[in-house]
Amino acid sequence: MSLRTIAEQDLATILEDGVTGFGWPITLTAPDGTVGALTGFSDDIAQVIDPDTGQAVSGRLASAALRTAAITAALPGKGLPVGIADAASKPWLVAFDDINGNAYTFKVAQSNPDRALGLVTLLLELYTV
Amino acid sequence: MTVLATLIDKQDNVEILRDQIAAILVAEVANQMALATGAAKDPADWKLRIFTERSNPWEQFIDPNEVGFDPSPLVNIWVDNMNYDPKASNVMERQKTEAVYNIDCYGFGRSANVLAGGHTPGDQEASFEVQRAVRLVRNILMAAENTYLQLRGLVWSRWPQSINIFQPQLGENTAQQIVGARLAFRVVFNEFSPQVVPETLELVAVDVIRTEDGEIVLEADYSYPLTP
Repeated sequence: MSLRTIAEQDLATILEDGVTGFGWPITLTAPDGTVGALTGFSDDIAQVIDPDTGQAVSGRLASAALRTAAITAALPGKGLPVGIADAASKPWLVAFDDINGNAYTFKVAQSNPDRALGLVTLLLELYTV
Repeated sequence: MTVLATLIDKQDNVEILRDQIAAILVAEVANQMALATGAAKDPADWKLRIFTERSNPWEQFIDPNEVGFDPSPLVNIWVDNMNYDPKASNVMERQKTEAVYNIDCYGFGRSANVLAGGHTPGDQEASFEVQRAVRLVRNILMAAENTYLQLRGLVWSRWPQSINIFQPQLGENTAQQIVGARLAFRVVFNEFSPQVVPETLELVAVDVIRTEDGEIVLEADYSYPLTP
């Protein structure tokens, strides 16, 4: 088995261990409404934004990291999540709870797939369902 | 050596005008919302929140799930710079001043589901919101009724020098979409400085008489010798 294949298997252990690791339940919804239950990393942290006026605005940075293989298994034939710019279409949605159990739903604004390792990082923005 | 006999206990006109711009905006935004209600339109589309000289980070947009969350655009008015024109001033009392006020607007957008199909993208929403805010601000301040910012005699003129709308920078993929815009608003006005307090030397009473041929004659009474 190549080191690269081993690395992808390690990724499963690192990302999806929700018992002793940092794995966290994440729901991924495709534009056609198909829902997949996955485990991965989720982030929702404070960040300062400068809209170029010189005045800081408190903001949030939300992201999720998921295994490519897990996505294709949970949502077969849907492809990898991407940011949907077309207002006439439904976006890919990501939902997860914070550590205190508050639920949040996000739209996938940008996806950064790493096809070498089989990992996709999703940059998220707030979404009103 | 001190030469000023009086306490400088006043606001300069540059500060008064900053507050006047804010007061005009607050009053007119409330009026526009009332007019929108009367026209059976959503008054929230005319709502702005007005601030002056704020530099602490805005926290209003951090969590749209909070109770009482208000997505209305923010407007911050702050004094950027002042230049004084010596040719139109006098060295004793009055300085013709040209001040630039930065009127910064912040629009918030959040992607949302549309039940009929599709969704509203948050980035577009934030841009539309900030353009709505800067549109309202410019129209209010440049309305004919506000030619002198309701301070005629003090204000020479006002002019929107420029409007810049800032695109979010690459790499700032924040969960909420916020777009800023800056209206640089130039106001020309008089600034005054403390004057010598006059000292009465002698009171003189004068009668002014116009004679039949139109000649003006002054008649004054002096007590002589002058009392110290």
